Amino acid sequence: MARYAMVIDTRSCIGCHSCTVACRVHNNLPVDMIYNPVTTVGPTGVYPNLHMAHIPLLCMHCEQTPCVNSCPTGASQRREDGIVWIEESKCVGCKTCVMVCPYGARVSNHEKGTVQKCDFCFDRVDKGSIPRCVQSCHQKARIFGDLDDETSEVFKLVNGEHAVRLLDDLGTEPYVFYIYGLEG
Amino acid sequence: MAQKHETWGWMLAVDFFFAGMGGGMLVIAGLSDLFLGVGMTSVLGNLLGPCFVGLGACLLVLELGRPFQSWRVFMNPKAILTFGAWNMLFAIGSGFIYTSFGIGALPWSNSIPVREFFAVTNVIFGMIVATYPGVLLARHKSRPFWTGTGIMGLFLISSLVTGGAAHMISQYVYGAISSIVSSWGIVDASSSAVLRGLPFFVAGLLALQLILWIGYVWIKHSGSTKRETIAAERWISGNYAMPFKGGFLLLGTFLPLVLVLIPGDLMKGLGALLVILGGLIMRLLVVYSGQDRTWLPGEQKYRSRLPLGHEAFLKAWNSK
Repeated sequence: MARYAMVIDTRSCIGCHSCTVACRVHNNLPVDMIYNPVTTVGPTGVYPNLHMAHIPLLCMHCEQTPCVNSCPTGASQRREDGIVWIEESKCVGCKTCVMVCPYGARVSNHEKGTVQKCDFCFDRVDKGSIPRCVQSCHQKARIFGDLDDETSEVFKLVNGEHAVRLLDDLGTEPYVFYIYGLEG
Repeated sequence: MAQKHETWGWMLAVDFFFAGMGGGMLVIAGLSDLFLGVGMTSVLGNLLGPCFVGLGACLLVLELGRPFQSWRVFMNPKAILTFGAWNMLFAIGSGFIYTSFGIGALPWSNSIPVREFFAVTNVIFGMIVATYPGVLLARHKSRPFWTGTGIMGLFLISSLVTGGAAHMISQYVYGAISSIVSSWGIVDASSSAVLRGLPFFVAGLLALQLILWIGYVWIKHSGSTKRETIAAERWISGNYAMPFKGGFLLLGTFLPLVLVLIPGDLMKGLGALLVILGGLIMRLLVVYSGQDRTWLPGEQKYRSRLPLGHEAFLKAWNSK
């Protein structure tokens, strides 16, 4: 069984927000909903040594899932391949998962009354494709693959580069990894 | 968008308040019965306990995005919210059944073992309902003001003190209307030792609440992480400082601590009302403080730039 993960190389990201737009179009999201915003850190430092980084954020598809554990209806689920998703018909919009997620990755759909989030485009992944945000990234800053496959690029990056996890001290073991440059 | 930070709304805070107060009333009624005998708390107070828990449950349902699917919250036994929902249900049932033993006109009112059984269930389910919001919040590792066991104790104390205050007011109200229901054979609690002692019980808990809250905010401020310090600063000198210090600590804790110890029903009643107001202010502040999440790199700047007040435009746009 695969264990899907994503590596985000912030050295390559230029903050164009193509991934954000592609995700919204693919998931047909309302205007006020974003699954994967891109934040900006900096500029930091003193001229001429200035640094700035763009950090794409999304659901971290954690190994230890506080969202799944806290969902009173069982709508939040985690597949064997690690993808965390929401079965919309079961969601009652209690927002427990929204509050318990350390990454702010879940958003309420006020029209439907449910909570929604990034699901690594599993409809595409199950057909052998890659998530829409990865496909749309012209800088190749997003790398998606099977972390259990030693030949995959994500395996090599996670084990070869200094890939870090966000808020690692909270113990959620996210499966989205970040590679920082000089600013990190 | 309506808000820059996803957070629970006021209805959940008021749910925590009513459920906590009702749970506290069940605990006081149950313990009084078990250790001191029947008729220690007024029947009106015993009745209002489960009613308040039920009112809290109704607000919880209204807070949901899909209220008509609310039955689904009973489905995942591993989730703390499911645990809380079931316990609220049991507490309401136990509270109503226990109350019925105080009405002499009902045929089962003299069955002492059954009454004591429901006094025990009152204590168990009331205690869980009174504490569980604190447990729910304490498990949010990324919400620096909530995380940790301290918040559980604060919720339990607040539930017990508001429950005690509500029992005091119930007795005053029942005293005024008792002649109306005199034919129902309702157990008279007007000379109960518990009701005489409640002002002292409430005063003791208020003193404890005052000390523990000051200690809690101080510990958070000098706490283990920078994010806890930042969250606590909101309560010390930020936008929560005035409602916390003036509304909760002074008006909702210190002033009633003095008032309930002054002889005379008017002062005690006023003090009890302020205790309840303080409990409500505390729940609102704690729930809204949940918007202080542990931020990701650049996230605060990103969220500060999100537009607010465009709901009408967005609704029109989305319906296109």
